[in-house]
Amino acid sequence: MGTLFEVLTEHFDELGPGFWVTVRLVGASFAIALVVGTLVAALRIAPSKWLQRLGGMYVETFRNIPLLVLLFISYAGLRRAGVPINNWVAGIGSLGLYTAAYVAEVLRSGVFAVSKGQVEAGLSLGFSHPDVLRRIVLPQAFRTVIAPLGSITIAMIKNSAIVGVSLLTLPDLLKEARIVQARTFQTTETFFWAAVGYLLLTAGATIAFRLLERRFAIRR
Amino acid sequence: MQTMRWRWPAAVVLALGVLVTAGCGDDDDKQAGSGETATTQARTFAAGTTMAKLKDDGEIAIGVKFDVPPFGFKNPQSGAVEGFDIDLGKRIAQELGVKAKFIEAVSDNRLPFLKDGTADLILSTMTITAERDEEIDFSEPYFVARGRVLVKEDSDIKDVDDLSGEKVCTALGSTYEATLKKQAPKADLRLVDSYSECLELIQNGAVDAVSTDDVILTGMIQQDDSLKLVGDPLTTEPYGAGIKERDTGFQKFVSEVIAKWKRDGGWAAAYQKWVGRYTGEKQDPPTTTLAEALKLN
Repeated sequence: MGTLFEVLTEHFDELGPGFWVTVRLVGASFAIALVVGTLVAALRIAPSKWLQRLGGMYVETFRNIPLLVLLFISYAGLRRAGVPINNWVAGIGSLGLYTAAYVAEVLRSGVFAVSKGQVEAGLSLGFSHPDVLRRIVLPQAFRTVIAPLGSITIAMIKNSAIVGVSLLTLPDLLKEARIVQARTFQTTETFFWAAVGYLLLTAGATIAFRLLERRFAIRR
Repeated sequence: MQTMRWRWPAAVVLALGVLVTAGCGDDDDKQAGSGETATTQARTFAAGTTMAKLKDDGEIAIGVKFDVPPFGFKNPQSGAVEGFDIDLGKRIAQELGVKAKFIEAVSDNRLPFLKDGTADLILSTMTITAERDEEIDFSEPYFVARGRVLVKEDSDIKDVDDLSGEKVCTALGSTYEATLKKQAPKADLRLVDSYSECLELIQNGAVDAVSTDDVILTGMIQQDDSLKLVGDPLTTEPYGAGIKERDTGFQKFVSEVIAKWKRDGGWAAAYQKWVGRYTGEKQDPPTTTLAEALKLN
């Protein structure tokens, strides 16, 4: 037990900043995922066939490319093509846009889960199409998507480790843990603390989404 | 109808399964094929030694680099692993009278591979250091490399002092992490898993310099002649074969094979084939001993 805590205290000046890099990476990616995901979901439920197709293309593109491949394309590929993208932009962009595809799918299914009768009732009461969406459909859809959004967020936090092992050389929690491990050879202890770091983030996300779920629950 | 509906997916899954397993089998064949069959008269070893055990297995698993020309790399045409380390590995296998099976060991996983028995021997451009010596055992040095700095032809970096504030790539778990922190404390270190990633990063301009062993950097220049070496050597890096800790018998055996290899011209031939031909430099087999090497790093 002694060495377990020693590894943390002796290498906190590496593991700590690594954790902070992961927090920033995850935070920025989450913001991008929510904004872009919402926009894409809006495209997918738009009244125009072409807009729907555009949204569909986005989802299929980003959902079907492995994140690691996406990271290579966005960093090595774009740089070779002359775009001077830096590793932070490539990392946040890839993880954010990748997660956005899943967010869009969840939001779309949430909207479709609201029964068609409600839309028709709204329209026949004289609401405009955007008004029906904003005042009737989305508030109900939001409730059903909280839980799946929570799962996506947790998956995203864990996927941030893929950014860490890619060639982006971002010094995230996993990378710092591997640096400490390579120097000290204290494999079990080092990765134990890395796992604790990720657990802190995923547990935080779980609690946040639980609270949201409770806040928007229907009292029956 | 119920059965009909399930027959198709089941057939597809089955077909996929067959394909996947067939693919695996293929892979194994290829790996085994990269080893060479023994040609010398088989020696006998005392029971209970690592040599006797390997002999029983008929195979030695050697961890080598797959992406570090000219020491260990996959030949793009044949798919076989080749290089200076590979030649030494084949020689050791030959002396044992077994087949050499080469597995990929990057800087970060080679020590665990030895400890957990995934590899019986490591020949992956590994510098002998006192720190590593506490985890594993080393053979006598079989090559001495020097630490250098690689930059693009048009770079302003002239030597290690110019690395301050510049992005410098090296491998995670290599000796250069500590070396650079000491000799260029203000450099922005970028640590990757393998040197081929460093090559990609310097080519696409994401880093300004790569620092590691001269022979590895020379291999990069062979692939891209718009790169060049600058400055004086930073370090001396004696390479040793990695052996499981406290396996003194096997360590002695490997050191003996290396000594023989140096004596009978095997070393010189491998050097000329993989290094001298490209650098135009002549070199004698290293005379540095393990004890001296351990004091260096």
